[in-house]
Amino acid sequence: MKGWEFQPARDLNLTGIERWRSLQREHGLFSSVARLVWWFLLRAAFYVWHRPVIIGREHLPLQPPFMLIANHSSHLDALLLASLLPAKWRDKVSPVAASDTFFDKHATAAFAAWILNALAIRRRGVRSHDLSEMRDHLARQGAIFIIFPEGTRSRSGEIQTFKSGIGRLVAASSVPVVPCYLDGCFRACPPSARYSKPFRLTVKIGKPLVFQNAPDNRAGWDAIAQRLQREVECLAEEYGAGGKE
Amino acid sequence: MSETTFKRFFGYEDAFAHPLTCGVVIGLSVLLLITPLIFLALRRFVGVSDSTYAEIWSRWRTWIWISVGLVVPILLGAAWVIAGVFALSLCCFREFARATGIFREKLIGLSAVLGLCLISFSIIDNYPRLFFATPILGIGMIAMVTIPQDRPKGFIQRVALGMMGYLFFGFSLGYLALLTIDPLYRPLILLLLVGVELNDVFAYCTGRLFGGRKLVPNTSPGKTVAGAIGAMVLTCTLTLVVGHYVMFQGTRMDQWHTLLIMGIGISGFGQFGDLLLSSIKRDIGIKDLGHVLPGHGGLLDRFDSLVIITPMYYHFLSVVLGPLGNGQAERILTGGGP
Repeated sequence: MKGWEFQPARDLNLTGIERWRSLQREHGLFSSVARLVWWFLLRAAFYVWHRPVIIGREHLPLQPPFMLIANHSSHLDALLLASLLPAKWRDKVSPVAASDTFFDKHATAAFAAWILNALAIRRRGVRSHDLSEMRDHLARQGAIFIIFPEGTRSRSGEIQTFKSGIGRLVAASSVPVVPCYLDGCFRACPPSARYSKPFRLTVKIGKPLVFQNAPDNRAGWDAIAQRLQREVECLAEEYGAGGKE
Repeated sequence: MSETTFKRFFGYEDAFAHPLTCGVVIGLSVLLLITPLIFLALRRFVGVSDSTYAEIWSRWRTWIWISVGLVVPILLGAAWVIAGVFALSLCCFREFARATGIFREKLIGLSAVLGLCLISFSIIDNYPRLFFATPILGIGMIAMVTIPQDRPKGFIQRVALGMMGYLFFGFSLGYLALLTIDPLYRPLILLLLVGVELNDVFAYCTGRLFGGRKLVPNTSPGKTVAGAIGAMVLTCTLTLVVGHYVMFQGTRMDQWHTLLIMGIGISGFGQFGDLLLSSIKRDIGIKDLGHVLPGHGGLLDRFDSLVIITPMYYHFLSVVLGPLGNGQAERILTGGGP
């Protein structure tokens, strides 16, 4: 008789903050249930407080893996994007979060990992090993990444230059990238604010792009970042021209 | 809820009513206070390496947590023991699930958790017949839940792993809480815990002292035949002395052959529990099941010895002494029933 093949949790040997930071992290029943509760509460809170409008929902891919990218001006951004996806994907959605902001202290790291399912990435000195691990995770686990290619929240509310790291994640891969434009988040909760004000939020979802033929080198990464920035700016212009109420 | 039941659940006033409880608490406190002195002496006169020194201190700190976590609920009352065993079972099942990979099957995990709730409920309700039915109710549930997903590939493996985890770490460890239906649950549980833990220590010490032939080298390379026999002899002596002079005076248990059987059982099945976990770990190919207890590994690495002996202990006591907890109001919450 052939023996069974066991697949222990990939993070079996990690503890505490190391485990929260690891890309190998795997969660079980409790965190899945906690995320379901969190997802319901978050959606209810958005519905009551911000009454979000979602334009172009039909552009969302039917199956993971895919990647949502957007302009970044508020902590609400990732929550808003995560809450517009169906609850059945709650364990697959991973906002990619700066490790210096979210994975420094035990409590925030636990919350980011356990509830938000965030993946830690270094803002400075990111190793190519980390990025290839992320690419691997995305394709193999059928994950959904939420990424803000600006790298940090815009302090003015304007869209900033997209960093080329996004290109390194998607160049020559078949994973679709969905550009989104978020409006109202800066007004509701700018980086300087502690609490969010009840302004209406809008998400405009664009058509998914695939960069399978893009070269996996510096020039290719830059081109991808510029292309995605243009897409988000176009969505913003379209929205500014006609989509606004 | 009658007054006797309330007292059993929450009556911390008579925590020290039995001499065995007193003895164990005092003995444990003294032991945990003296050992640091031994460490210091070792450091000064024998000269242990820094890493070993740090290791024994970390083990000692963990032992304090384990002792407090075990003894305090037992002193406070049955309700706390039941809650504590529920949490212990949950953590042990989680460790097993993460090690075997069954944790990815969320529905099986959910059924096991519901089964654990049923086990705790039956004990709170003082309804042993429901408790004895929980294995079949639980494994039925575990077998059913993934069928609607229509993926027969791997069915036997996931259901079998779910059942194994549920039976050993839910049901078997649940007997620890079931012992609380007896009014004398404090000394009964402490006798088992102390017996099993000391048995581990005896096996380790005599094994180191005599060495010699390995017991089951493929399963657990550290264990020797001398250790197993030494532990058996010392644990039997312990149960004979404690059983005769403190615990079972004047009952049907107070005969040399029943006490001897109990001693052999605690030692033998305790060691088998240990080897059961070793076999699981060897089969998967991991060293420790977790990192909850620094210096020990996971919770299961510490409580593995209890997995087989606890049900046997309970049923042996019931056979010799008559059903435990007899004469008390049954089915506190569901009512009715005799």
